[in-house]
Order: sequence, then C-alpha cells, then structure tokens
Amino acid sequence: MISLQVQNNQSFDLSEIPFLTKENFRNSVLEGLTNGFRMIGLTPIKKEKPERLIAILADASSSMIHLIGGEYDKTNLQFESFANTFPQTNYFECELSEKYGYLPRNNPWLRPVRKQNVIVGNQPYQFYKLEGEEVHEVAVGPIHAGIIEPGHFRFQCHGELVYNLEINLGYQHRGVEELLLRSKPVQKIILSESIAGDTVIGHTYAHCSAIESLSDTQISLRAQVIRSIAEETERIAMHLSGLGGVANDIGFALVSSSYGRLRTLAINSLALLCGSRFGRGLFVYGGVRYDFTDGIIEGVLANLQIIKNDVAVINEYLFSSIGALARFDNTGVVSKELATQIGLVGLAARSCGIEEDARIHFPYSAYRYNPVSEITLSSGDVFARVRLRALEIEESIRFVIDQFENFPDGDIKSVVEKTNPHKGVVSIVEGWRGEIVHTVFTDEQGNLSQYKIKDPSFNNWYGLSLALRKTAISDFPLCNKSFDLSYAGHDL
Amino acid sequence: MKDAIKVRILQGDPIIHDVRNVQFPARYRGLPSIEAKSCVDGCSACSDICPTNAIALNPVRINLGKCVFCPQCEESCPEKIIHFTNDYHISANSKEQLIVTQETKSISPEKASSKIRKYFGKSLKLRQVSAGGCNGCELELNALSNVNFDMGRYGIEFVASPRHADGIVITGPITKNMANATSICFEAVPNPKIIILVGACAISGGIFQNSEEIQRQFLKENNIDLYIPGCPPHPLTFINGLLDWLDAR
Repeated sequence: MISLQVQNNQSFDLSEIPFLTKENFRNSVLEGLTNGFRMIGLTPIKKEKPERLIAILADASSSMIHLIGGEYDKTNLQFESFANTFPQTNYFECELSEKYGYLPRNNPWLRPVRKQNVIVGNQPYQFYKLEGEEVHEVAVGPIHAGIIEPGHFRFQCHGELVYNLEINLGYQHRGVEELLLRSKPVQKIILSESIAGDTVIGHTYAHCSAIESLSDTQISLRAQVIRSIAEETERIAMHLSGLGGVANDIGFALVSSSYGRLRTLAINSLALLCGSRFGRGLFVYGGVRYDFTDGIIEGVLANLQIIKNDVAVINEYLFSSIGALARFDNTGVVSKELATQIGLVGLAARSCGIEEDARIHFPYSAYRYNPVSEITLSSGDVFARVRLRALEIEESIRFVIDQFENFPDGDIKSVVEKTNPHKGVVSIVEGWRGEIVHTVFTDEQGNLSQYKIKDPSFNNWYGLSLALRKTAISDFPLCNKSFDLSYAGHDL
Repeated sequence: MKDAIKVRILQGDPIIHDVRNVQFPARYRGLPSIEAKSCVDGCSACSDICPTNAIALNPVRINLGKCVFCPQCEESCPEKIIHFTNDYHISANSKEQLIVTQETKSISPEKASSKIRKYFGKSLKLRQVSAGGCNGCELELNALSNVNFDMGRYGIEFVASPRHADGIVITGPITKNMANATSICFEAVPNPKIIILVGACAISGGIFQNSEEIQRQFLKENNIDLYIPGCPPHPLTFINGLLDWLDAR
C-alpha cells in the first residue's frame, strides 16, 4: 500500500503525504483496513481545500501511523463508502460528510454527527423506527435526569427489551476545532483543557505533544514523568468515579459513596500538584508549570496509599456481592468480533479482549521508558468493563509510585519556538477512556491550518448502542455508566 | 455483612464539618488580589496574555466572570501586583461584584430578598442544565452530593425534573444546539424560580466567548440570581455562595 508512515508524535513535511488518484486512494485505504489497521482520522488537509483528503490509519502491530492522501474533484466531492465492508469507518464518513460536504456513495447509514436532524445537502434525517405489535419507542433527552451532559437517545423496544438504540449527539458543540485554529497560543492550551473536562490531562497532553513536535521541542525527562504521573492520577480518579457511578446505578450506596470518597483523594492529589482538582494549569508548551516538592510527593503518596488499601477492601465487597454480579454478568455484551468491526477503543475494547492501549502500542513520552502492563478481559459485558477499571486503578497506582522512586532530576520547562511551516503531526494519547488523537497541520507561515480531534467517545458511542440490543431497557443506566462516554469530547 | 462493616469502618468520618474554613492546597487559585501599586508605564502584559479577556487596565481590574484561573497574568506581571490567593469564597449575585479591583478584599453575595429566603432558605431543589459544559463543572456539581461535601444537609439538592425544582443551574456557554432545550427547561420550573450560573463559560462564555456556535439570548431575557465563578468552581465555592445568599446556616 502507498502511504506515509510515521510514529506517534513524529512530525513530517506535508509534501511527504502521497496524494493519489481516487481509485488508488480507495485501494490503499482498503488494503490497510484489510490488514487490520484501524481508522483514526479522515479529514481534508484544510477547510479551504476539501478536495485534498487524508485518511489516517493506525497499525498497532508495527506501532506505525499511515497517512494516505486522495485527490478529489472540488465540484464533485463523492467517494465510494468503505463502511459496508468496514463498519469502523462509518462514523468518520458521516463526520466528513457533515463538515465538508462529501457524499459517501452507498454508505449504509448516513446520520448526523453534531448537527440536529439533517444530513448532507440539508436532507432531513429519519430516525430508525421499529413497527409492529407491542412495539414502542422511548425517547430521552437532550436533558437527562441528573447532572449529566445532554444527548438524545431513542430506544425501539418490544416490551422490556431494546431492539435498537439510536444515539443523537451534538448538543455540546462549541466549535473547539475552529477556535483552536484562530486563537492565540495562550488560549489554545485552555481550549484543549476544555475539550472534555473529565479528561483535561489526556487532551492537553495530546495537544502539547503535537505543538512540541511541530516546533522541534525536546521535553526534559522530569517533565515527561510529571505529565505521565498526572495522566495516571486522572485515570485513577475517573475510574474511581466510574466505579462509584456503576455502584450507584445498582443501588449499592455504601460502595458508591466509598469510591466517591477515594476519588476526592485522587483529584485532591492533582490539586496539590497544580492547584486544580482536574489538572488545569499544569501543562505548558515545553513541559509543565509546576514541579513536585518533597512535601507534595509525600502528600500524594499518602493519598495513593489510602486509595490502594481501601480499594482492595471495597472491590472485595463489590465483586463478591451476588446482587451486584447478577446485574453485571452478561449484561450489555459486545463480542470481540463486533468490537473489532466497529473499531472500539480504550477500556471498552480491552474488556472485549482486544489489545488496544496507546501507552503500549503507540508509546509516547515517559511511557517509552517506563511501560505499563496491558490488562484485558474477555467477556465484553458490564462486569468486564467494571472489573477492568478496578484492575487499571491498581496498575496506575503501581506506575505512579514507581515514578516517584526513580524521579529524574532536571528542568521542567524547555524553550518553545514557533511551529514549523508546512508540517503535520499525529499525536496519540491513551486517556482514561481510551485513544485520543490530535492531528495538526501547519500552513506556509507555520500557523495551524487544520486541527482534528478524535476523542475515544467518537468510536465508542456506537458500541453502547450495540451493547443495548436485546437488553432490558432498565439496564440502560448501568450499561451507559460502564462505557462512561463523553458528550463534550464527541461534540467538540 | 463482615465486608460491609469493614467498608463502613474505612469510610470513617469523611464529611467536611466546617465548610466556611477549609485549608486549601497552597497552589489552589482562588480570589485574586491586586496590590495597590502602579503599573509600569504602558505595560499591558497581563491583559495581553489573558486567554479570556478578563483583565481591564488603568487601574488593573479582573473580571471573575471571565477568569479561568490560569495563572498567566500573575506570571506575566513585571511588578508582581497580581496574586491568586487561597480564598474560595468568590460567589456573587451581581456582575459588578465579580470585578476584582485593588480595593477588593473579599467577595460574598448580598442576601437574597426576604421572599426568596422565606421560600427557599430551608429547602432548595435545583435542576441542572449542561448547555455546552465540558463536564468539568458537572463533575464538581455531582461532587456536592458525595460524602465529603454532602450539600443535602443544608436542604439543597439536585432533582431530576424541572417540575420539582425551584430553579435551574446552568453550566456551559449555552450552545446553539442547547439554547432551545435550556429555555424549555426553565419554563417548566414553577414560579418563583431562580437561575444560577456556574463557571466562566456560563457567566461570560469563558474561553468560548468568540465561538460562532453559542447562543446566549436566554441569559439576556432572564434575571440571573447567582454567579459562581471558576473553571470549574470548587464545590465549596458553590455551597458557600448559596448559604451566604440564602442566609442559611
């Protein structure tokens, strides 16, 4: 296959991307997908040149990212859909269609991504509808019963069982990608911190790594380690939050409130380091703003020790409870085969037995020297997704404690020059939900000319839809919380 | 049963008893203080670097409704006259109160009208609407009901339906796609009702103030009762703001 091969965070000249004819582009992309590569991006080189399309595929086995360019006719933006053979590409095609007016011919399911009820050419969108006796539709949202982001869910039910769930998002669309292009550097970091407020570290990590690669900036080892400690602390905090949420959804109040208490300790550890419970203000281009002092390390270690100790006891209680297991086991199952087809990422993929973790397969900064263990489970149900999070908490605590024991000395901030002209970079980070991808291109002056963000939720919302099939509608909250997806990260 | 007791014993007594006086981490950025010194002639470093245009000059004033509490103004000031303190009592009930000047020593909302205090002083039920919020503010509002903050002890709770609520709490800059749902939700709340804005995005648009995807007409048409600044605001900022405003403790 013809493609430009780069590693995670390796910058390249835009002229290195091969721009092929429509037919060769299609063949190259199909070849990659047939080889088991995963699509992680489908975007034009810039808004003003929608006819120069770039497909980005990730090959976990070689840790390489493949960029394939395709030259289209500006007056006739059409391509033959890949989604009939490779459903994982479907949502990327929908997004491309919505944002740049492409028509994916023979696409099996062209649906809105962020717009409300319209698809390409302002055609009204028809929700899928089940008809027949004793069939009914349940429509929920955008505003849900709780402190949660907005989204619209339509369940096609037969009695208690869900036959199809359609998830319609976009309510949180704030225009992050557009703002990132036309804002000042000082604003860009704040924007990346606000892509998904529960994944501040993950997204800012990807953003800063991308800008640093484009400006040939080397980050000190100490700063890299601090970044990875923050990343793992965020993972611990959000996994605790998710476990608490799941326990709450099955009415297990003692367990839920206990995880909640421990989450406070985890996010307060981030506040010790940088003042914000979510890690805002920690990242600057070229490193980090705040260093660990002995006192802060002591405080963080004390918190982690409590979490480690208490989580073991709480897990024991939760996972030996027959009532809890009865709700978790075989609920909301996604098979490994299905998960591979639709391109699930992150913890949802790992709980189906797919080895997919950017820290291991596309290693970046500190994770290149200090690896984490990959944990997978095979059952693909609520149990696996919950259990996996419990196991990942242990591994992240192990990782953070190890870093403190071998903490490299040095500066925490390097000088950053302007981003180089006509360059590109693909920056992948394993956030707590899964794979975050920031793809950034610069123009002739070195200003950002394209910024594409892919949150793991972009891949995984469809997984939730499929997990609900033939599942009782009353299990929806539990399934939803076990995936724990982002609306803001999807809607951008 | 034995496991349950073990878990309960570990839980201990995690509640924050005195929500007024909590020791925050040294690096926490709360109410900024501006020293009564004059700036270097023609210097505009702080307002130039501010990502949300929160700073006005001559003399220096910081609009907490826009501030995202990044410390860039503090870092850029050659005279070091801006300094973020640990004070987390920063809620206000008017936009004027949110402007921090050299004279500002503390911020707290004025008491609500006697009618509001009579109606809601002992029991306030709120419906939260996320209108483009990034889930930062939402997480902190969720944390209000955990065992550490336990806002329910003051009779303040979040409810599922606007019909059961006494007011709405808005987070996020209000996206075009949520503008309609936000006003429908508010209409569904029975009178008398209040509006609380949480976070820089809701109060001013924050980092998204120049986005073409937001629609803030709803805020112009309705009276705002309480502003809780921050990015996101700390749960204790929210609790104290409400307690001060309702004069309930």
